[in-house]
This record gives sequence, C-alpha cells and structure tokens, in this order.
Amino acid sequence: MKRASLKASLVVVIAAIVLGGVIAGLLPSYWVFLATSVLITGVALQSLGLVAGRTGMIALCQMSFAGVGAWTVGYLNLAEAPGGLAVWILIGGLAAVPLGVAIGLPALRLRGINLAIVTLSFATAFDTILATMTYPGQTDFLQVPRPELFDGDEGYFVFVLLFYVAIAMALEFLSRSRLGASWLAVRHSERAAAAHGVSIATAKLSAFAISAFIAGISGGLLAGYLGTLVSENFSMMQSLSLYAVAVMTGAHFAEGAIIGGLLVVMFPEILRRLDLPQDIGNVLFAIGATQALSTGETMSETFRRQLRRLVPARIKAAASAPASDLPAPVSRAAGPALSVEKLTVRYGSVVALDGVNLTVTAGTVAGLIGPNGAGKSTFIDAVAGFLSSYEGSIKLGGKPLEGMPAHLRAREGVRRTWQTNRIAPELTVGGYLALAAKGLSASETRAILGWLDCPDPNTLVVSVDAGTRRLLDVAGVVAARPAVLLLDEPAAGQSHEETLRLGQRIAEIPKLFGSAVLLVEHDMDLVRAVCSEVTVLDFGRVIASGPPAKVLDLGPVKKAYLGIEEESVAA
Amino acid sequence: MNALLTSAVAGLTAGGTYALLGVCAVFTYRLVAVVNFTGAAIGTAGTFVLIALYEAGFPIWPSVVAGIAAGTMVGVAIGTIMTRWFGEASASTKAAVTVALLVGIIAIGLRLTGGQHPHNMPELFPGSAFRMAGVEVTIASVLTIGLAALFTVLADLFLNTTKVGLNLRALADRPMAAELLGIRVQLLSLLVWGMTGAFTTFALMIIAPQRSPNFMTLSLLVVPALAAALVGLFRSFWRTLAGGIVLGLVEGMASSVDSISQYRSAIPFLVVLAVLLWSQREARWDEAR
Repeated sequence: MKRASLKASLVVVIAAIVLGGVIAGLLPSYWVFLATSVLITGVALQSLGLVAGRTGMIALCQMSFAGVGAWTVGYLNLAEAPGGLAVWILIGGLAAVPLGVAIGLPALRLRGINLAIVTLSFATAFDTILATMTYPGQTDFLQVPRPELFDGDEGYFVFVLLFYVAIAMALEFLSRSRLGASWLAVRHSERAAAAHGVSIATAKLSAFAISAFIAGISGGLLAGYLGTLVSENFSMMQSLSLYAVAVMTGAHFAEGAIIGGLLVVMFPEILRRLDLPQDIGNVLFAIGATQALSTGETMSETFRRQLRRLVPARIKAAASAPASDLPAPVSRAAGPALSVEKLTVRYGSVVALDGVNLTVTAGTVAGLIGPNGAGKSTFIDAVAGFLSSYEGSIKLGGKPLEGMPAHLRAREGVRRTWQTNRIAPELTVGGYLALAAKGLSASETRAILGWLDCPDPNTLVVSVDAGTRRLLDVAGVVAARPAVLLLDEPAAGQSHEETLRLGQRIAEIPKLFGSAVLLVEHDMDLVRAVCSEVTVLDFGRVIASGPPAKVLDLGPVKKAYLGIEEESVAA
Repeated sequence: MNALLTSAVAGLTAGGTYALLGVCAVFTYRLVAVVNFTGAAIGTAGTFVLIALYEAGFPIWPSVVAGIAAGTMVGVAIGTIMTRWFGEASASTKAAVTVALLVGIIAIGLRLTGGQHPHNMPELFPGSAFRMAGVEVTIASVLTIGLAALFTVLADLFLNTTKVGLNLRALADRPMAAELLGIRVQLLSLLVWGMTGAFTTFALMIIAPQRSPNFMTLSLLVVPALAAALVGLFRSFWRTLAGGIVLGLVEGMASSVDSISQYRSAIPFLVVLAVLLWSQREARWDEAR
C-alpha cells in the first residue's frame, strides 16, 4: 500500500519537475501566467474530485469555498498578519472547513440529490453576500503580496506548482488509506460500508471537510495570483461549470484535474484568438459531462483504459503466503457468542420473523436454513443492525446490541456478508481487506487471500470474477476476526469443487481466527459438512433446531424445504 | 405593520411562481424520477422567445403563445435526452445530467440574449385585482397563485385517481417494468416534460418583469423552486404549494427591512437547510443499497 502510494507520488513529482522546468524555463511569461491559472483551477478541481468523483455526491458550491479562502487571505493581508502568503493560504483553507462540514451535515443520511440542492442554494446565498462586500483592501488598492522568493510570473508558477504537487501527493496517500477506501465504499453501497464498521457520517463529512480545505487553498492561491479579486471570480456559475468539467474529465484523478484546468483556461484563450465568443466553452463542458455520465466513464478513465490496452497486462498470480502468516486467532470465552431471544420483525402487517430463538456457541459453526422467504436474510439484517426496529433481544457474548447502529455493531464484533456482491469495483483486493480489517499487515493480507484462493492484493476488484468476489467477501469479514460471522449464502454461484473447498475453509474459521460462524445456506451438503447445530426457519418461525444429522431428517423440515410430504419421499 | 403587510403581499407574485415551479419539480420527480435543475431554464427559454418577438414588433398575445410553444419544445428536447440516454440511470446520475444541461443552457441563453444586456419585458397582466386590508393585490399575484393551485389540484387528482396517473407512477420507479406492462413510457414521459415546460414558461413570463430579466437570473429561480419542493419532500403537492408561497412572502417581508434586504436571496438556503435537517430524523438507508 505505502509503496504503491510512494511510487505514484514519485511519478507526480517527476512529472511536475520536468513539466514545471519546461514551462517556467522555456515558455514566454504570458504562457507561464496562463499555466499558473491552469494549476490553480486544477487545485479547485482536485477538491471537487474528492466529493464528486470519490464519494459520488453532487457538490455545486466549490467556488464559494474558494471565495472564503480568498477573502480570508485578503483579510489577513489587510490586518498585516504575520506569516506571509503561504501561511495565509493555509489559514484560508481552514476557514472553509467549518462551512464545508455545516453544508455536508444535511446530506449525511440522504444521498447526492439533497446535497446538490443545499450546495446550489448556498452558492446563491454566498453570491449575494460576496456581492455586497468588497474584497479586503480593494478600496485602498492594497494588493496581496507574493512571497519575495516567488515573485514574478515564473516564481509564482513554481509556488503554485509546489502547492499542487503537495496536494496531489496527500490525496494519493489518502486515497489508498482506509479513509480513502471508505469513501469509495460509501459511494458504492452505504450498507456494505457500514457492515465493515465504517461510519457513514465520518466518511462523508471528512470528504467534505478536506474538499472544502483544498478549495479554500485554491481561492488563496488565486488571491496571490491576481492580487485583488471581485465576487465574480467565485460566482455560482463558476461552481456549476467547474462541476461539469470535473464530471467530464474525472477530477479525482491527478491527470483529470490537470486536463480540466487546461480546458477551463485554454479554451477561452483559444476561442479569443479565433475571435469566437468565449462562453461557448460552457456549452462544450455541458455536452462533455452529459456524454461522460451516459457512458459512465470520464476522460481520465478512458485514457487509463486505453493505456492498459497498450501496455500488456502482467498476469496476476493468486496471492500466496505461508499459512503461518495468518493473523493469530483472537481467544474468546466459551459459551454463547451470539444469543437471540424472541426476535420478532414486522414489515407493516407482514410478520417476517416471529419469536425466533437462536444461539451460536463460541468456537462453532451454526447453520440457519429454510426455504426462500423464510426470513433468513431478515434475521441477518436484524442482528447486524440494518433494521429500523425489531422486538426481542440480541446479545453478543452477553452484551445487548439494542440501540446500536450497524457500524458500531460491526466494530463490536458482528460482521456479515451479502447475497449480492457489494464491493466497490474501484478498490484493489488489498485495499478492500484493509477497509474490512483495520491494521492488517501486508503478509497477513497475503496469507488470508491465499487461504481462500483470492487474487494478489494489487489486483483491482473490477477485474475479479463474480465467484471470486464472493470469496473476497468472506476474506474481508474473516480478516476482521470478529466474535461472530454471519455468512449469507457464500456458496451461491460456486462450482461443486469450489463449494467443497469453501466448506473446509468455513469449518476451519473458529479454530484459525477465533470467530463463531452463522452460515445461511441452501447447499445441504455444505451445511451437513460444516455445521454442528442447525436452525430451520419457515415463514418466520423456528420449526426445528439441533444437530444437522437429526434435524435435516425430520418430516416437517423436509416438507418445508423440499415442498414434499413424507409419504411422497417414501414412495 | 401595514408596511410589512404591503411588502409581504408584494412577495405574493414571486411566491406563486416559486410554488408553481416547485409543484412542477415534484410532478417531474414523481412521474419520471428526475430532480430537474433545468426547470426554470426551460421556462426562461420560452420567455425569451416572447421577449424577442415582442422586441421585433410582433403583437403580444401571439408572441405569448409562441413563447409557451417554445418552452414546451425545450422541455420535450431535454425530456428526450433524459428518457433516451438516462431512462434506467440512478436518481443522482439523472440529477447530475440536469446540472450539466443547466450549465449548457445558461451559456447558450446568455449568448443568444446578449448577456446581462437589459431587455424590455412587457407586463402581461398589469394592475390590481382587489384591495385587501388596504393593500393592493396585483392581478399577477392572483394569477400565479391561482395557476399553481390549479396545477396542484390537477396533479393530485391525476396521480391519485386516473389510470394513466397510476401507470405513470409505476413508470417512475421501474421504467423497464412499466414498458413490459405495455405502458408507452417514452410518450408519457415526454408528455410530462412538455406539460411542465409549458406551465413554467407561463409562470416565468408573469414574474419576469419584476426581476432583472436576464437569462441567468431567471434560470436560477430553480433554487427557490427546489426549496419549495423540498418543503413538500418531493412528494406532497399541497405542501410544496404552501412552501413556495410562504417563501415568497418571507422574501417580500425581508426586502422591506433595510438591514437584511440585501441578503434575501439567502432565504431559500436557510429553508433548505432547515427542511433537510428536520426531515432526516427518519430516513436511514438510501434506496435499498
């Protein structure tokens, strides 16, 4: 992980030194001046890429945050605050953070669209506020001074370049961290993210706060660039067109932000030289964004895909590491790991679960079976905290879980998998495991992946086939070594041989990792092979429970499960 | 007191317009599942056709009809883009598309109408309708509110009692499934887009003389419209209607108080913030993900 971030950062630094050297050293001043503007727009686009690209939210007030940063810089200049421009710019970025958090708050629980409305209305409000204020120092013709070292067009270009590279590197590290993985996970499926113990609120608010900080910095850089500013620099229209550009180019990629900056700055320049009206640019951005949304692929992603086609892909071997590298099992007290009593769940007038009792003993694998619609998945939802209400009690090792939201239950030690795959395809296999299990070492990651025949940690999830993704799901929850694992039909879609192998692995989980397992399955051979206790549900009621050899031969179980009467089986 | 009342009533025309635009937004959302950021821009396009024809010396009422027809056509054009390419897309993708389209429409609009250049917008319904507690209530305000109320009643009846309405509601959630049931999804969706286009155009024609009629300001009336729609939580037409009117009244009152009148366009933001924070108490997980 770290190494990949370092490698990517090195690429950014080398590219910056080469390109920066060429631009600052060889190009005429006017072009250097324009290039500086490209970079500043690039910083603003990076900030937008974080919320729009990574977290998938529609943010339409990015230039307002930039405005806060710029105004702060102007104010600090007027107040003759110590520290100089670089420090003022950072303070300007910080000043935008509380606003970012405040505006992100209403969008915590509901997705993108509400955030779009909040941010657009904030941009309108901010427009009028800025319009009534003059830029600090404007009336006294007081310019924001540049640092002595970086005065002049070439100097300031280098100054901005340093900021751009620092931000690009920080984002690179962030995107590969657990926080970065949680952003992608939240974008893909909030429930799945919460099931890994990710707090949706923290993920969204951190994205918004960091994004506002970077946007504030872009505003501060603009203040030093132009010396004095007017409210039009930060108008709502700027925010809107910036959003269109971000969607079009994919601003969460380092190259996407630069391409976007180039388009925003160079397009009007070219149009001006061709004597064409400059506002045509926005029309093209709108078309480009619509096109990107309809294909689901931004310009950066298209470039990357074509690049991958040019460079022959190395065949990624399955991850391998000695089993001794597996993380040590967590020792747990004997007795019930999970005890559920009288669990009743109602959806309106439908009773999905009716007084269900079930105990999973520590160190064992228990089975939960029943025909489709019997309430098995509802049971898992209730235990994992995904239902707004239920009756009865759910205890984890004696501790009641009532009132705890899903992500806290996950942290407490209840982990689940899903029937449908919910892994964010942009993640790497290793990144997914890091999201699922905090603080896993590289060798442990490899060992767990190898143990379940999953691919190398550097493989992108998007290139992993559906069957293997289900194994990856299991690998994730196992890696977290929770008190209780709830596996929802892990063998669905696996071949017979794969199922046998998976069965062996599941049987080993309690010993190897110290987790008790509740297995929901339709494959009776698998259930017989690995479970020491089985509970059978039918229409939300427990109709039998006990050792599988005994329970599966009971008449009512056969009837419920196979839909046939005892007689016809005999016949 | 009377001054406050006068200015509140002065906000009624705006309130009616917000309400009508808001109800149209809810209508669009419930029937074709799009949170439409281009709503006001569609009406603005039609309004500027009226202005262009009027400035070119055409008589006013034929110009109004032509303008409404143009607004309807722009609505259908955007509807075509949305149904053809984004019929099965997620709600937030659709919203993002309308944001992108808004950027494009405003740019084209500003180009064609000469940017911030002031236009001569005829007042369609000048004069006062009646006096209430010593305050003149204008025909324009009665008209916009009446129109909004009419649209609300019709939309409510249409969706809850007619078979076509029920079909359309089914279509919003699962266009593909509705198509398989034999509902003419494309045609009905375009009908929705055309109809809301016509209504918003007319509403904007009435309010345009009160605002600085440039393409961007009018297009951005989508902000109070969406704020009103949020008051109705994008479900209830009646609450949206009330939300829009109250928004207009509050804006009107704010404009009479000197110290805050400059900031009155921040009011929709405060409303949005309050409604969202309040409505979040219950919502937990996004659409079954």
